[in-house]
Amino acid sequence: MKNIFKIKFLLLISLIVLAPSCSEDFLDRPPEDSYNVADFYQTEDQVNAGTNHLYSRPWFNFITNVAWCIGELSSGNGRTWDPRNGDFDNFAVTGQHGTLTQSWESLYAVIAQSNSVINTLPTAVNPDISDEVVNNALGEARFIRATAYFYLVRIFGSVPIIADNTEYVLQPLVPRNRVEDVYEFIKRDYQFAIDNCYQKIRGSSFDSNAKVSSGSAKAMLAKIYLYEENYAMAYQLADEVINSGEFKLYGGDAEDGDASGSYYDLFLTANNNNPESIFALQWSNSGQYSEGNGLQSLFAQAGITGFSDGYSAIGPSIDLQNAYEDQEEDLRYYATIMDPGSFYPDLNGGYTVSETVDHQGTNKGIKKYVVGNAATNGGGAQQSYPNNTYILRYGELLLIHAEAALMGGGPTSAGINSFNKVRRRAGLQNIANPTLDDVFHERRIELAFEFEFWYDVVRRGPAFAIDFLSTTERGTYNDDTTPPTIESEMYTPSMSDLLFPYPSNEIQNNPALLEDPIPYEFD
Amino acid sequence: MRKLIPKNICGNIKFSYTFFIICLVGQLALAQTQVQGVITDENGVSLAGVNVIEKGTSNGVVADFDGRYVLTTQSNATLVFSYVGFITQEIKVTGSEINVTLSEDLQSLDEIVVIGYGSQLKEDISGSVSTVKAEDIENIPQVGIDQLLQGRAAGVSVTKNSGQPGSAVSVRIRGVNTLTGSSEPLYIIDGVPISGDSNNIATSGRSIADNGLGQDAGSTGVSPLAAINPNDIESINILKDASATAIYGSRGSNGVVIITTKKGKSGVGKLSYDTYFSVQRPTNIIDVLDLPGYARLQNEIGAIYGLDPTVEYQNPSLLGPGTSWQKEIFDDALMKSHQISFSGGQENINYFISAGFVDQEGTVIGSSFDRITVRANVNAKLKEWLNVGISLTGSRTNEDLTLNNSSNGIISLSLFNNPAIGVYNPDGSFAGPKLSDDFRYQNPIADALSISNKLTRNRILGNLYAEFKLTKNLTYRTEFGGDFGNNLSDRFVPTYTYGDFSGGESILSLRRENNDFWIIKNLVTFNKRFNEVHDVTVLAGQEIQESKWEGVIAQDGNFVSNDVPILGTGDANDFTDQYKGSTALESYFGRAIYSYDNRYNVTASIRADGSSKFAEGNKWGYFPSISGSWRISNENFMEDFDAVQNIKLYGGYGEVGNQNITNFAYGSRLNTISTGMGTGFEYANFENKDLTWESSTQTNLGLDFQLFKSRFNATIEVYNKVSKDFLYQLAVTDFVTGGQSPGAITAPWVNLGEMVNKGIDITLGFKTKSDADFVWNSSISVSHYKNKVNKLLGELTINGDLTVDNSNQNLTLTQVGQPLGLFYGYQVEGIFRTLDDINGAPVQFERPFEDALFSTTWLGDIKFKDVNGDGVVNSDDRTVIGNPHPDFTFGIQNSFAYKNFDLSVFLQGSSGNDILNLVDRALTAGNRTYTNQSPSVLDYWSIDNPNSSQPRLARNDTPNINISDRYIEDGSYLRIQNVTLGYSLPSAVSDKIGVARFKVYGSIQNLYTFTNYSGYDPEVGAYNQNALLLGVDNGRYPSPRTFTIGMNIDF
Repeated sequence: MKNIFKIKFLLLISLIVLAPSCSEDFLDRPPEDSYNVADFYQTEDQVNAGTNHLYSRPWFNFITNVAWCIGELSSGNGRTWDPRNGDFDNFAVTGQHGTLTQSWESLYAVIAQSNSVINTLPTAVNPDISDEVVNNALGEARFIRATAYFYLVRIFGSVPIIADNTEYVLQPLVPRNRVEDVYEFIKRDYQFAIDNCYQKIRGSSFDSNAKVSSGSAKAMLAKIYLYEENYAMAYQLADEVINSGEFKLYGGDAEDGDASGSYYDLFLTANNNNPESIFALQWSNSGQYSEGNGLQSLFAQAGITGFSDGYSAIGPSIDLQNAYEDQEEDLRYYATIMDPGSFYPDLNGGYTVSETVDHQGTNKGIKKYVVGNAATNGGGAQQSYPNNTYILRYGELLLIHAEAALMGGGPTSAGINSFNKVRRRAGLQNIANPTLDDVFHERRIELAFEFEFWYDVVRRGPAFAIDFLSTTERGTYNDDTTPPTIESEMYTPSMSDLLFPYPSNEIQNNPALLEDPIPYEFD
Repeated sequence: MRKLIPKNICGNIKFSYTFFIICLVGQLALAQTQVQGVITDENGVSLAGVNVIEKGTSNGVVADFDGRYVLTTQSNATLVFSYVGFITQEIKVTGSEINVTLSEDLQSLDEIVVIGYGSQLKEDISGSVSTVKAEDIENIPQVGIDQLLQGRAAGVSVTKNSGQPGSAVSVRIRGVNTLTGSSEPLYIIDGVPISGDSNNIATSGRSIADNGLGQDAGSTGVSPLAAINPNDIESINILKDASATAIYGSRGSNGVVIITTKKGKSGVGKLSYDTYFSVQRPTNIIDVLDLPGYARLQNEIGAIYGLDPTVEYQNPSLLGPGTSWQKEIFDDALMKSHQISFSGGQENINYFISAGFVDQEGTVIGSSFDRITVRANVNAKLKEWLNVGISLTGSRTNEDLTLNNSSNGIISLSLFNNPAIGVYNPDGSFAGPKLSDDFRYQNPIADALSISNKLTRNRILGNLYAEFKLTKNLTYRTEFGGDFGNNLSDRFVPTYTYGDFSGGESILSLRRENNDFWIIKNLVTFNKRFNEVHDVTVLAGQEIQESKWEGVIAQDGNFVSNDVPILGTGDANDFTDQYKGSTALESYFGRAIYSYDNRYNVTASIRADGSSKFAEGNKWGYFPSISGSWRISNENFMEDFDAVQNIKLYGGYGEVGNQNITNFAYGSRLNTISTGMGTGFEYANFENKDLTWESSTQTNLGLDFQLFKSRFNATIEVYNKVSKDFLYQLAVTDFVTGGQSPGAITAPWVNLGEMVNKGIDITLGFKTKSDADFVWNSSISVSHYKNKVNKLLGELTINGDLTVDNSNQNLTLTQVGQPLGLFYGYQVEGIFRTLDDINGAPVQFERPFEDALFSTTWLGDIKFKDVNGDGVVNSDDRTVIGNPHPDFTFGIQNSFAYKNFDLSVFLQGSSGNDILNLVDRALTAGNRTYTNQSPSVLDYWSIDNPNSSQPRLARNDTPNINISDRYIEDGSYLRIQNVTLGYSLPSAVSDKIGVARFKVYGSIQNLYTFTNYSGYDPEVGAYNQNALLLGVDNGRYPSPRTFTIGMNIDF
């Protein structure tokens, strides 16, 4: 009797205890604090938001740590004493250089994220969502993938083309592809974006300008053709973009100008996504590391940012300082370089540059991309500020138009017209018959500290590049003399220094990088 | 809880009295002879609750609280005195008073060994199990049980990853079994499983300690076992081979450590107080340059970098010694511990209640650990057919954390910091570097003292069981176990100005995390002995468990002052984040043990685990095992052979698994981030739907025997473990994932490769006769394993990378045919001292031989070996330069007792392992401005010093600092880990003062280390428990030397 009771009692307990395990989904634990990719892309909002990340975080390391080392230090626009960054200044970067490795990783992170959208979205998306919405998102992703490859091919030369990362995850040996194939791949991506991204007209609602458009892709493609020396195509595309009226020169005086702005205003956080912006990275004001723009931390001197950053990591080289036709007249000087004693009314509500400002022995500071403290600059925190980083803006497009025309791609007069629009916006006089050297110089000044100059130097060919780079003054001012004298530093690169080495770890993991590049199979 | 227990005890005592009285009254009527007496144990302590029964009848009584009994019996009766844990005595009634002394049944206590889901006589065990008993680890000033296991059992290698109080420990049972998963064993504490993985790979994926430093974060692990008070532990059983751990199935591949806490012993209640007080002292400091030396170096390096000479350094000999940063960060530290416990029991109930407090300062300024624990263990026999019990512990630990084992860590900062800077300014504020110094190191004292990084962990861990005796042979046991914790991490960086160096806005960062784990077990055990020779035990069980976690991170900054940093009162850096998740495991298992005539024993088990870690179709894994033993000594033909005693030969085979991976690794997730356009959704990881169990098969063969009348005993075991289909997060190349970049997509988890660990564990023990005045017990355990990777994906090699000095360095290489994680780098042939050395030498790293400061190779540079003979030195010439795996590790315990004195000496060590000394690399780099270096750097090569020991001073890009065999050192050591001398008051004296036991002792922990290693401490361990970064010293927090005095009192 007692036993029967006991057994019943036990069975009861066992049943209670066993009950939860009978539930079928006990062993099914999908993520609880993030989306499962398979469940995303169910609404138009989700599809639209699905490309937001491609404009920001994966680019962080490249922009914050590397782009300026290559674009400005190696080119001789800037200089440094810092031993690590100095390796860029004096052509001593090896495959083990941590900073260089960051560019490789960061750009391939952009590609990995883009590829994931490109390859997942079409199958995962809710079929009720229209093709236009989906294709626009795919166009954005391909636009951004192409841009990352464009940097890679300019920095490293031939690189592996990865169109679907999942195919290579378990593949130890991945060959690199020929430079011309990388360019072909880039062009196809931009062409897809031209065909599928929305057409836009950039207006006064800056927020709606943030994402790239069909016209943005056309502008980027024009630049690609310029690099390929296909001047006719470069001219034609640049011309189409100009004629589309989508973009405006911020502060320009011609029909395509927006008189409400100026060259200086281009770099204020409040003017993110102004009508001149063709493609810009969109940084958050969250203040979280890698979500915001870290450039100001490196470019500013201590005290400007309101945090302990402001590392004065680079100074404008004496060569760049002297390259300005007129430091007073050219409005770009004040917007790019800080002179001792200069006053910036908008910066932190009024900022006077210290008389002893001296970034890396240059007796100057940097203004471009220095935007001030969180309170006056829309938020952010140390190494994370909300100002956009330009990848391409209309000012540069006009110079592409000009260069393509001067090189025979179109009517010279149209090119000269574009060229002079840029000069007039900078407060300079027209040049009636500019040469290629003039355009080269104009690009250097217009885009100083926007990380383009190295590529501009190198694409003129090794003979020019080595000659130019080896005669660029990268020295310091000796202030013990009056007036200060130049302690000259010049460095001569070798041919092989015009491309950067692959990261050593990558070569070790993938020795195929050392083999001859192979053709890419386009399907 | 605490209220409940005394009440139960009272109830039980009353019950005993009543029972006693009833018996007494009942028996009086038939009285013929009345017998009475007192029952005591060997120490003269009276035993309450002893059963006194007239043999062959049901007539009996239970001894009262003072051990007294009165029983009326037939004349010529025989009385049987029985009591749990004591040897039963039978005494013939001869008079009216019989006083009895019962002796403890040491035999039975000793030889019951806890195995998974049950216990077994030691002599019957056929798997590999080591036991560490409470007395082996008592009075050792270590706050964590994981640390206490060091050197205690063969095959168990324990290294502290950091000397920081409360930090994680690497415990490796029989080598390394997995690539990137955790190799830490599974701990079972009173039936509740706890992972030893401080990185929480399988749950939240983050260490609970937050140092806010992201990638280059140094040692982040804090010990998951820090909540357990070692004083509460009765025994630790370490299941080493798969035949023993297979019953734990998917979590058994790294071995299982079963920890049983103390239970009350029947008898008079015991009140114990244990305390110690320790002084911990840093053992050594690393030699770095004083100010004159630094000035000389700075002048030289400054010239290379084209800096203006520093006026103050023009004549270094005029300078004082400068700041010795190491002396400033290291200091003597105190540690104290108090523990009070009550224990006791009656026939049907026993209890153990304790409260403990330990407070440990760290020897590095700004670090500390304290812990409060309470524990209640109660077991009761409610009915003939029902036993119930609970073990419950609550704890709170508080830790002050510092960053260590990182190039930015406090220890590295103290080594590299410029001795020209003071710690404090004359006004008492912190000093700091000058703005004009291009390379600035933070003031580590200021960092340690002004940045506050506190971690508080609260935890309740317990297990409740009921065991029903269904029939004579069948029991059913159900258990509910739980582990509930919350962790509070508070980090505050105030505003500060050190010298010309000022921090910006203050930042407060808080983390609040809850972890809930529960487990329910149902076990049915059948046990029967047939025909006196066939013993059968069959276990069938079912178990489900779930682990949930949830955390909130909140941040605020720019407070009005540094005094009251509270969320919501700051003006910047607002940030909140939340994370949560859960995992579940459902299991069924069975085991049959059959033994024949105490000679043969066969054990077979199987477990099926269903895991939420894998996709549908891959969820279930099956883990069988079989083992057997043969007690040769019990064979008839051995009857006359007594030179060797207790010979047992045993062996087994089993399969176990591992599922320590992140949740939902089989699918792909999206991380949310903030962008300038609103929330963005980043792909977090690559999916792998085919992901399945990592498995390990192990074969174990063992031999036990004793010599010299059992005074010498030996255990020899050999094993072969084959692990395969490692759960490995594979990123063949960075261009597929994006490497370390923000926005990179983490590599997929895959099942990959095969690895073998073969090894031998030997334990030898020796003891003198226990009844002599002088007693000596000694035991030596020696372990050796050989690790080899048999298979990886094709020609794939796996790199062990670490961010060192802001650059990602490949430190180890894992390739087929070799052990895991071998050091990888260049071989150094010497220094280019003359032009003759340069002539015809292979070009180094494409740097032409030219007398220039950078991008060249010139006299004074290191000459690296052209290993592959292709005429140039480049990254292809890297090769294996060292092996972090020891040839063998050992522990030697000796305990001596002479009358009331006892002395124990414990030595421990490792032989034949290499260490990669990254601290030395940084200290001899000779390529940085404003960075302190080792004095040896001043012996740099120059025209005037052609026979230098060091290469020339150089700029940052110099290959001289490439990872090479220059930095490989022999990590062998022999450490006098502990010496304890104790004195116990003779019982005659202690009785007079009303004390049952009184012992005082003094000990020295980490007394001395014999080693050739030049760093702080050769016990380096695995960097953040990472098997690929074994033996990497990157500024590890050294273990201190600890002087202790302590006392144990029992009332």
